[in-house]
Amino acid sequence: MRILLIEDEAQLREQTKQELQRQHLTVDAASDGKEGLYLGLEYNYDVAVIDLGLPHIPGIEIIQRLRAANKAFPILILTARGRWQDKVEGLESGADDYLVKPFHFEELSARIHALARRASGWSNPILACGEITLNPASQQVTRSDVDIELTAYEYRLLHFLMLHAGDVISKTKLIDHIYEQDHDRDSNVIEVFIKRLRSKLDPDKTLNPIETLRGRGYRFNLVNDSETSLPQ
Amino acid sequence: MKRLSLSSRLLFTVSLVLTIFLGFSALSLDKAFRASSDVAHKKQMKNHIYMLLTAADFAESGNIIMPAALAEPAFATPSSGLYAQIINKKNTVWQSTSLLGLSLVLPTDTEPSEEKFTVIKHLKSDLINLAYGIVWENSKGEEFEYIFNVTEDLSATLQEKASFRRSLWYWLGGTGLLLFIIQALILRWGLKPLSDVAEDLSAIENGTENRLSMNYPTELRRLTGNINTLLDQEQSRQQRYKNALADLAHSLKTPLAVLRNELELDAEFSKVKSQSYIQLNQVTNLIDYQLQRAATEGRGTLQAPIAIDTITTKILTSLNKVYQSKQVQYSYHIEPNLRISANEGDMYELLGNLLDNAYKYCQGQVMATITAKDNIVTIYIDDDGQGIPAHAQTDILKRGKRMDTQTEGQGLGLAIASDIVDAYQGTLSLGQTQLGGACFVITLPQR
Repeated sequence: MRILLIEDEAQLREQTKQELQRQHLTVDAASDGKEGLYLGLEYNYDVAVIDLGLPHIPGIEIIQRLRAANKAFPILILTARGRWQDKVEGLESGADDYLVKPFHFEELSARIHALARRASGWSNPILACGEITLNPASQQVTRSDVDIELTAYEYRLLHFLMLHAGDVISKTKLIDHIYEQDHDRDSNVIEVFIKRLRSKLDPDKTLNPIETLRGRGYRFNLVNDSETSLPQ
Repeated sequence: MKRLSLSSRLLFTVSLVLTIFLGFSALSLDKAFRASSDVAHKKQMKNHIYMLLTAADFAESGNIIMPAALAEPAFATPSSGLYAQIINKKNTVWQSTSLLGLSLVLPTDTEPSEEKFTVIKHLKSDLINLAYGIVWENSKGEEFEYIFNVTEDLSATLQEKASFRRSLWYWLGGTGLLLFIIQALILRWGLKPLSDVAEDLSAIENGTENRLSMNYPTELRRLTGNINTLLDQEQSRQQRYKNALADLAHSLKTPLAVLRNELELDAEFSKVKSQSYIQLNQVTNLIDYQLQRAATEGRGTLQAPIAIDTITTKILTSLNKVYQSKQVQYSYHIEPNLRISANEGDMYELLGNLLDNAYKYCQGQVMATITAKDNIVTIYIDDDGQGIPAHAQTDILKRGKRMDTQTEGQGLGLAIASDIVDAYQGTLSLGQTQLGGACFVITLPQR
């Protein structure tokens, strides 16, 4: 999952970025409104975290302009002032949730995961597809209750595929959502990751969780078990 | 650009109007006087002619015989300024004694029954002459033409006119000056309350007074009353800031002391860490709470009424977004066009905190009802949660009052709501729930 973080306070931005990355989230961080708006308009993020008090362009205006440009990804606002009028204004302008500073990192990542899940139609905090489950809070992946050890990028890949279980995801889209903006992108690496994921999730080749659709991309084939999956 | 003061504007226009008005009166009076004096003068000259005609004795030969003394003594006094002459066929047949030694050229060409006024220059003065032509017929039917001339020196009349004009201007000028002075005094007196306000305000600025005196004329009383309200609000706001600041500083000392003790006691790191979390949370809550208290505007007469239904629906829509996973069914019953004189931010804060609590603790239903009656707005916020057990009800409301003494849960939101309600001299209580959970009832004065 790729997250846009717009926060002007350097220390908080770095702390938050590291913490989110530790949870295997791909994070693009912007330090002011201008840069943040540019990134938000340029890329398709899974969730954006936007501070309201930003230099150059205020947070509210960024949200309005992103929404006006038909960017539909969920937006979480961070605000130092916990005034209800500000919260309501932020939510009215197009944000989906708010968090008042100072916040706990667990709270932030729980909100981010909840927003991403909601946007892709999951209602349960744990993603469960048949025998395979992924817990974004603990970054634990199991098959039939047996833990599976994954590397950071394998986890990121699986998380994104499972969030969009049943959808065909192109290789470029995968790259976009698991790599940071300035990362060296090599599409061949994706194939290697997919191969490794398959062997780790399905060593005896009975499940075939990830299907390759030639020329189109990949699809996580196991059905979303939390039955309440909402249409997008 | 500096704008003219009120008194200079008024003085300027008043003096302009006075000058124009008095000037026109003087001109018309002067004109009227001249006209009437001219008419009188001409009439008098005619009278002289008639007198001469009456005095004249016509002989059959056509000669005129004039009596030695005339009724008008001025004709007998040389150079008196009033002269008479009778002409027959360009020959002077008689002239008044007053004309002796003067060589006036008087008109000789006046037709019979013609009256002609002419002005004659003689030396330095102007003379006015009335020539009157007559025809006398004797018993034989012979006709004799005569011209009667009466001449008067104008300098006397001119002098009279000039002295009239002089006294006219003196009087009008004097009246104008008097009016101007009276006007200036009236202005001073009328505008005095304004300069009093200015004086009072500078006394407030200097700190010698803290509000305007209430002794102002009716027209200003609303203004000065409002200024006083603003000043009072400002003072109570300052007091609130001071209190909040003092309370904040005071209440922060407890968590800080606990943290310091933890560190000094050399306890296990994990214990220090968990204690720090608790205390930091407490510090955050205290800051939020005291900041909110300082920011509360409170009741004031100058607040424009705000639409409370818009605020409520905005908050409900926002909360529905935030608590989307909870799928809360909300309903609201708000009297249409219900307005309340309160600060918008305060109402957002009050309703936001209470509705947020309702969303947090409900199972799936929240209901907001707002009614107004007899200048009292009543807000019911109901949910279908666990509710508050009877024994804890008084406690929770009391705890809501003092944030310092409690920690988690409903507390912070309720404490803030309770403070705002206090700032509006309203009440916060628990009422009969319709959904089965907790029902908070708030009453606020509508104006």
